[in-house]
Amino acid sequence: MAERGRLSLKNLSVYYGKNQVLKNVNLEIPEKKITVIIGPSGCGKTTLLKCLNRLLGEYEEVRIEGQVIVDGQNIYTPEVDVTQVRKKMGLLSQKPQVLPMSIYDNVAFGPRLFGLRHQPELERLVEKYLKLAGLWDEVKDRLYEPASRLSIGQQQRLCLARGLAVEPEIILGDEPTSALDPQSSRNVELQLLRLKQDYTILLVTHILRQAKRVADYLAFLYLGELVEFGPASQVFENPKDPRTRAYITGEIS
Amino acid sequence: MKDKATGNPELNLRRRKAVESFFKVLMFVSTTAVVLSLVLILVSILWKSLPALKLSMITKTPGSGYYLGKEGGILNAIIGSLELTLGATLIALLIALPVVIYLNTYLGKHSFLAETIRFSLDVLWGIPSIVYGAFGFLLMLFFQLRASLLAGMITVALVELPILSRAMDETIQLVPTELKEATYSLGANHWQTTTRVVLRQAFPGLVTAILIAVGRGLGDAASVLFTAGYTDRITTSWLQPVATLPLAIFFQLNSPFPEVQQRAYASAAVLTWLLLLISLIIRSLSRKFSRNKIR
Repeated sequence: MAERGRLSLKNLSVYYGKNQVLKNVNLEIPEKKITVIIGPSGCGKTTLLKCLNRLLGEYEEVRIEGQVIVDGQNIYTPEVDVTQVRKKMGLLSQKPQVLPMSIYDNVAFGPRLFGLRHQPELERLVEKYLKLAGLWDEVKDRLYEPASRLSIGQQQRLCLARGLAVEPEIILGDEPTSALDPQSSRNVELQLLRLKQDYTILLVTHILRQAKRVADYLAFLYLGELVEFGPASQVFENPKDPRTRAYITGEIS
Repeated sequence: MKDKATGNPELNLRRRKAVESFFKVLMFVSTTAVVLSLVLILVSILWKSLPALKLSMITKTPGSGYYLGKEGGILNAIIGSLELTLGATLIALLIALPVVIYLNTYLGKHSFLAETIRFSLDVLWGIPSIVYGAFGFLLMLFFQLRASLLAGMITVALVELPILSRAMDETIQLVPTELKEATYSLGANHWQTTTRVVLRQAFPGLVTAILIAVGRGLGDAASVLFTAGYTDRITTSWLQPVATLPLAIFFQLNSPFPEVQQRAYASAAVLTWLLLLISLIIRSLSRKFSRNKIR
């Protein structure tokens, strides 16, 4: 259990055709803390996240160099099974993607994927993870209704519950609250703060205030380069790089 | 600030309005023409078939002398068409589904193989059914089959195959990439993503695809002309010839007796109503199964 949730990037570069989107990123993500990646749009934040669960190669013309090391193993070697890698990571997308099934089936989807069929056990898991995502009270009476009927804030929490149900070690969030209203955003942030006790969390956001609220560690990504990384309070109050300072004070966005 | 290039704004406005009105009228006329022709077809068939529309048309098989004007109905053709189309659609589905799943799950969208398969299916869709009929006839001779239910099923399956495949393919392509990505992120492999999420999301569209194919198969005459044969009895075995509604219409229309010709129109009406009924049933079933679909 010593190496659970260990994530590091070594010399990671990503090319879309001739365009280099990530330039030699070296980053060690602290365990069981919330690390937030900030940066202007187009700087490569989403690309970086998609690298981590190997979602990048699925559809586009991408070239990836360098290593992504999860629990001591580089996930880009051919022996590694990509579904096992993805199981370790829970991804929360910007726009909540609920599956076309009931609320119950959404959360049970993950466990069922990996062979769990025992009804009482599934019910127990569904309740556990809906509670963990802070959604149980709102849906416990309508578990078998279509998930598409939930409000968007509830859908995002459902996606959180669903992602947790595969029992990942690392949670990745790609601007998970930018499509939500302030109340739902706050809700999701609170859940993440509660979850960091057990999971390593990596969040991407362009909302500086959100970063201030939740981050333990801060990384600043600018035009594909990792410009600065450190404890959040330190980076916010005393940024070392002038570009970081410019972004935090709002000169560049 | 009047620019020489834009000219008189007053005249400009009137001209633009005139152009818009002109096209509005044109569109209205076209729409009316379309709806009118549909109504005309339905009404004229119904009108010509009125004398022959008796319950016995759909409950009896042709008696002796039916084609000379005596007693009977087209129950043989109704049942025959249903048997044949059901079998043909099942065969087509059995082949089309794996092809479509393979196309959308394991092949890149623009891979050479994918484009070749889609192109071939498009071409096959356009081949006239008489050509399928001739090909089916060739197969029959090769396997030493006589004109029968089986031969007819295989030929109509070939007709339905490209339609079914392409229509299902188009529907599946519409499933958003983000949904697939979310499913992959949970640790699902390609097969699980396709069967548990993509097909579920695409289900109503798949049903529509089946309806389109069934519509074509039920009403097609040229493909069954040489391959299914014809009979006045209700077929119960694969290797016996089978009656079909399109051919029933054909043979009855060919007759010199006006009473028999009226029955041809009645058969056409029956065919139309049958298609409508099947569509309604399948659509209502589909609605039940797609309450969970997103958007």
